[in-house]
Formats: sequence, C-alpha cells, structure tokens
Amino acid sequence: MTNGKLIFDETRRILFAAAVALLMALVIIFIASKTPFETFNTFIAGPLSSKRTIGNWIDDSAKLALAGLAFSLVFQARQFALGVQGQVYAGGTIAAAIALSPLGMSWVSIPLGALAAMLAGAFLGFIPGYAKAKLNANEIVSSLMLNYIAYDVANLILRLYLASPKSGLTASEGFPRSAVYPAFVQHTRIDLGVILALGSVAIVWFLLYRTAWGLRLRLTGHNARFAAYSGIRSNFIMVSAMTASGAIGGLLGALYVQGQGFGKIVVGFEGGLSFEGILIAIVARNRPLAIPFVALGYGYLRQGAALMGYRTDVPAEVIGIVQGIVILLVASSFTLPGRAFLNRIMGGSAAARAPST
Amino acid sequence: MTPFLEAIGIDKTYPGGVHANKSVDLTVSHSEVHAIVGENGAGKSTLMKILFGVEQPNAGEIRLDGTPIHLPSPRAAIAAGIGMVFQHFSLVPSFTVAENVVLGVEPRSGLRLDRKRAAETVQALADRFRLPVDVEAPVERLPVGQQQRVEILKALYRDAKLLILDEPTAVLAPQEVVELFAAIRSLTEQGRTILFIAHKLPEVIEISDTISVMRAGHMVGRVPKAEATEAGLARMMVGRDVALKVTRAKPGERKHLCRISGLTIKNDRGLDAISGMDIVLRAGEIVGIAAVEGNGQSELFDAIGGLRPVETGSVELGGIDITAVPVDQRRDAGMAHIPEDRIATGSAGGATVAENFVATELEDERFVRHGLLDLGAIRAHAVELIDHFSVRVNGPDAAIGTLSGGNMQKVVVARELSSNPKLLLVSHPTRGVDLGATEFIWQRLAVARDAGSAILLTSADLSELLSLSDRMIVLYRGRIVAAFADTTELTPETLGSYMLGFAEQPENERRAALS
Repeated sequence: MTNGKLIFDETRRILFAAAVALLMALVIIFIASKTPFETFNTFIAGPLSSKRTIGNWIDDSAKLALAGLAFSLVFQARQFALGVQGQVYAGGTIAAAIALSPLGMSWVSIPLGALAAMLAGAFLGFIPGYAKAKLNANEIVSSLMLNYIAYDVANLILRLYLASPKSGLTASEGFPRSAVYPAFVQHTRIDLGVILALGSVAIVWFLLYRTAWGLRLRLTGHNARFAAYSGIRSNFIMVSAMTASGAIGGLLGALYVQGQGFGKIVVGFEGGLSFEGILIAIVARNRPLAIPFVALGYGYLRQGAALMGYRTDVPAEVIGIVQGIVILLVASSFTLPGRAFLNRIMGGSAAARAPST
Repeated sequence: MTPFLEAIGIDKTYPGGVHANKSVDLTVSHSEVHAIVGENGAGKSTLMKILFGVEQPNAGEIRLDGTPIHLPSPRAAIAAGIGMVFQHFSLVPSFTVAENVVLGVEPRSGLRLDRKRAAETVQALADRFRLPVDVEAPVERLPVGQQQRVEILKALYRDAKLLILDEPTAVLAPQEVVELFAAIRSLTEQGRTILFIAHKLPEVIEISDTISVMRAGHMVGRVPKAEATEAGLARMMVGRDVALKVTRAKPGERKHLCRISGLTIKNDRGLDAISGMDIVLRAGEIVGIAAVEGNGQSELFDAIGGLRPVETGSVELGGIDITAVPVDQRRDAGMAHIPEDRIATGSAGGATVAENFVATELEDERFVRHGLLDLGAIRAHAVELIDHFSVRVNGPDAAIGTLSGGNMQKVVVARELSSNPKLLLVSHPTRGVDLGATEFIWQRLAVARDAGSAILLTSADLSELLSLSDRMIVLYRGRIVAAFADTTELTPETLGSYMLGFAEQPENERRAALS
C-alpha cells in the first residue's frame, strides 16, 4: 500500500470514528439535557467561543501531543511502558525546583528547567527498561508502579520544600516571570510549550525514520525475533527507546509547571492527561507526524466537553463516553503484541492457519 | 456411474481482490486417490477450503453422489461425510489419542465421558484402517507422523467418506510416508475416497489414481496415473519446462572454513537437542543434514546463528571463535542465515522490502554514516537485489508482508547471499515455495557454493537435500548417526533408516566423512 493511500484510509477511518462518537454524544445530550440544542452547541462550538478557550484548546493539544509522542516511541518498539505520568511529575518537580531557586530570576531557568526535567524523566524511563533487560521484569507492571512512586515523591517534595504556606501546602508560590514560558498570544495559554511540542515531534520523526537507531527500533517493534536474527542488539534498543520516551514525558512536566496554565507547581497538576496520550498514540498509529493532528482533534472534543461541564447541565463525563467510542472504533484493529503469541499458544483455528499451497 | 464428488464452475474471489479459483471443475470418482497439484497460489488450498465449507464460492456447484449440496461451514461438510486434515494439526497436546479423536462427539455414560468405550472405538477404528497408534498415549508424546494418524482417525470417527489431506507428506520421513501410503490404500479398499494435495511429484504419481493440475486459479488438466510423468506434470504446473538440477561442486582441495567441536545444545525444555557434535565445513561445499523434524536440526541452526546459547563445545569460523558472540559479530565474521521460518524469523512483516534488505547491514558505511540512514543508497540496494533475484514486488517501499511466500523467500535469500558469506546456514530454503522459485533458489545456492561459501543445509525435502548436498550427515536424537562423503549413490531409503534410528553407521566410517 502506498503512503498516500494509507494516510487517506486512516484519515477516513478516524473521521468516521469521530462522527460516530459525536452522534453518540448527541444522543446522550438529548437524554440528559433539558436544553439539548444549547448544550450541544456548547460542546461543538464552545472551544472557539473566545480567545481564551481557543488558547486552552491549543495548549491542551500541545500537551496531549507530547504525551502521545512519548507513548508512540515505546509502542513503536513494541514495549508497553506506561510511565509517562510518573515522568511528568518527576520532570515538573525538578523544573519547579529550578524555577523557585535563585536561577528562576533568569531566563536560564527555562532551558535549564526543560533539560533537567528531561533528564529526570529519562531516568524514570530507563528504570523499567533496564529492569526488563536485566531481570526480565514486565515493563507494564514496573512502569505503572513507578508512576505511584513518582507521584508521591513529587507530592512529598512539594509539601516539604516547594509549597507556600498560604496555599495549605497544595501549591507553590507563582514562579518569577522569567521562569514562566512567554505567551505568544496575550491572555491565552498559547506559549513556548507549543513550539517545544512541535519541535519534539519533528525530532522524534527524524530519529525514527532517518537514523539507524530508529530503523533498528522499528524493526525490533515489527518483529523482535527478526531483529535478533539480523544482529540488532534489541536490549539496547528497548532500554534506549524507554529512556528517550521518558525524556519526552519529563519535558511535558516542565511544560505544565512553567507554562502559562500554571506558572507554579500544584498537587496533581497533571490531572490524568498523560494516559490520554495512549489514545493519541493509538489513533495516530504511532506515527509522529500524525500526532499533532490527532491531538488537535481530540483536544477539541476534550475542551468542548469540559466547557459543557462548566456551562450546561450535562456533566463533562460525556467526554469519557466519546473517548471510549473513539478508542473502540479506531483501535479495534490495533494489534497488541500478545495477540500473535496468544494465537500461537492457543493453536488458532485450523482453518485460519491452513497454509496456502 | 455418477462420480462421487463433482465441483462445477467453482469461482472464488477473495475480498482483497485475489481471484483464486476461476471456474474450476473437479471430478473425483468413488474410492480413488485423487491428487491435486499446482504451484503456490494456484488455488488448490482455496478449492479444498470450499469443499470443506471453510470458504464460500462466489459461483459454482458442488455435487456429492450426483446431489447438489451446500456447505456453509465445516460442520456441514463433516455432516455430508467430508473430512479434512490440515497441514497444521488441531489437537489438544495433553489429551490422549482417544480423547482427541472423540472430542466433540464423545461417547457418554450419563454426563461423563465414557473413556473405556472411547478407547475401544478408536482402537477398533485404528485397526480397521491400518493406522496403528497407542490410543492411551498423550498426543504431545507422539511423533508428527502419528499425530497425523490421529487427525485422520478424527475424520474417520466422524464417518468421513471423502478425506482431504493437505500436503500430508511434507512433515514425514520416508518410512512414515510409506506407512501413510499403506493406510491410504487400505482406506480406498474400504470404500473411502482420498483427495490429496501435494507438491512432491514422485509421491503423487506413486499414490494417486488420478491427478488434477491447477495453475493460476484454473484447472489445467486431469491426468490418469498411467499417463503421468514428472516432467509432464511440472510443465503443466509451471507452464514451461523446469530443470530442477544443479551442478555439483568441482572436486579438489578445499580449505577448512568452519570447525564445530563437541557442540552440545539444550532445547526449550532443557534437554539435550544436540549432544557432542563434531564436524568440519570446507569452503565451496554444501553439507546436507537429514533428520526428521525435531531431532535437533532447528536448535543447531539457531545456535550457530546466535539465537540460542551453546551449552558446551565451540564453533569457529575462519579462525574466529563465534561460540558465544552476539549475532552482529557472527555476521561480521562472515556468517549468513536463511532461517526455516521466513515470516517468524526471516523478515519484519510490517517493514518495507528495502528496510528488510538493509536490516543486517546497519553497520555498513554504504548505508549508514554517523548514525544517519542513506535512504538513496538503501533504495538503490533494494532495487538492485529485487532486479537480480527477480522478486515480484511493486517496488522497494512495499511492505514485505504483502509478498507471496516465494517472493518473500527470495528477499531473504537475496539479503543473506548479498553479503558473500563464508558460512551460510540454510534451513528449508524452498518450503512452501513454488517450482519456478525453487529452481532459482537452488541455482543461487550453487553459485554461492562455487564462489567459496561453506553451506550447511537442512530440509524436510530429501530430494532437495540429495540434489544439493556434496556431503551429508544424518541426525537422530541430536547425534550424528551417519555421514556420507559422497552423495551420488545415496537413496532416500538409506537415509530414512538412519533418520528413524533403525540403523547407525560404525564410528570409523562416520569419522572419515566428518572432517
């Protein structure tokens, strides 16, 4: 199949899924709302209703894109590390510490914060990879457990060192202006983070499709046995993919706390967005260049649902339903790595496996 | 007399657009062995799946004893008296033979399975059709040949009048083939009809009463046994003359290239797959390994290829010890490997043909500089190999998973030969590959040998081994039980008795042929 046809088919599939999901949302709104048309209007048009909401949409999309990028990198190597959330907290905490230190009075705190956050995230990403390579520890379990550890350690550091007493120990003081990403559009959350997200997309695309490391990574993801047979050191690929993904997760943490949205560190600042990166990665089929578009589309639905929750009598949980339907429709042909293996040990159906002569 | 089975005008186009059967007619008489031969993709499997109710034809009619029948599912086919034995068995490994046979239609006493009656019935069935098998043994302990018998018994237990066997001899040793053929004859004597899909022509001619030939979705001929010749059938299958012959290595002094000493390898269950193997491979020769599936040859190739650890002993290639080094260093030392499974091991299905070609060359300056891919060079390399090996593909950017088996195998062979290896490991190079591609791959292997490669070859197809090998060894339960320095006088029967462990060559005779 040619690339053009692939993109066309995928786009059609995604749009179809989105349409069906919207239809379901409409049905639910009709059942739940006393003023269904206004409610639906808020859901569909809300994100464009003001400069501020447009900004929120763009900013959310940038964050979703980074989360999706982090997941797609490990998914392309067929590793199911789910540690982005923990990396975000680790990265955010380090970035906040730098922003609140004397360094925060200088612009240096922005690149330094991003860099330190990436290092922290990379370290967290490295751990499950190394544990898998050396101890054969399941990366799903170890990365999920690390999320809890990172979250609680981040809270501990926040309460012990960073929080301001005025906030009841749930948030720090606002960072100095020099430590907060400059907004490109005044009074919106559209800031340096968008550039960082797009830059990361470009870099990951380049790494995956233009370097030998990326080809090794993709070949390992396609068929690990083939990679081993070809002489690819798959353990190195696995660990480095998880580490690189961790760096992206850490960067997302810096984006959060140093962005216009917060400009300070708050307990639970990430709000569960990281895991929505899985959806972005799946819908984008782990293709870096597709991720910004998917993130924008999904970010729009998410923003609409949030506004509906604030402004109307229908709760924002509708987004959960929309999300579920999108996942079901788009991802139903997404192959988990275990599927081929399961088929093999179950023997499959004889007819399905009957070879052609 | 009405024919037993008639298929008239069967037409099948798959949803993907592949037109697998083009108005195919097939007539099978009562109590005959009817073989269907054809190249890969000729449509044999599709036709069989239609007859067994797995696939539905777009057009056409199936008649059994003159009555039109409709087969919406395998269940309906079984009810109509049609049974099928697939190449990949569907048996429950931990169940006994009797349990496997009766599974789904068990004799019961109350709610419980009546084990005794099941065993007796299956035993009686086995005796009647000369399919001797231990009905109380768990299937996982049986060799492949006996597992196949269990599959046949399963069909007979369901009272199949027509038995479809999909390449039944592909997994069998020569003696097992003889036993299978005896069983087939006893089946037809007792009024059963056999439809036999195969590609080894000598066997086909031996066992069949009638042979139907398919090519590119068409039924191109129906030949009675008396008129069938190998060359004639091959010409009908391929549409041109085929010469399956390779020149032998030229005699002369050849330098030692690879020394395997005291090699012991464990299998997945921790038992010795290969024990204490010694052999020396020389430049410019093909050493064939004959063995029934599961006698250590897979583990041996995996271990030399670097995909399985070596327990004791050593492998030395061109003066370099490669016993325990990673695969990339083995390849640097001059090893290449055509693995037995081109899909599971030999390719990355989702990646492009070009990426598959370059996967083993990612240290090479031609394709990678400073860690960056030279996409132009990679593409040019792929185009060149595609051209050299006449791979039928839309271009280097097509996903390799979309290629047919023969073309995919050509990609694997092309990649492995392109490095001009010193040592080439070759497992089942033409399994599931059509005649045209087989001819091509054989010639390429002979060319590599003449260029000075040492080739270690194994194949389930003994005629392939005998055609290609300059020297041969036989493995039985992980040990070399026979070795032949000259293969010109060898016959499948001689090899077979060693392969099944009936005989073992005297030590001194073996030694001479191993160094």
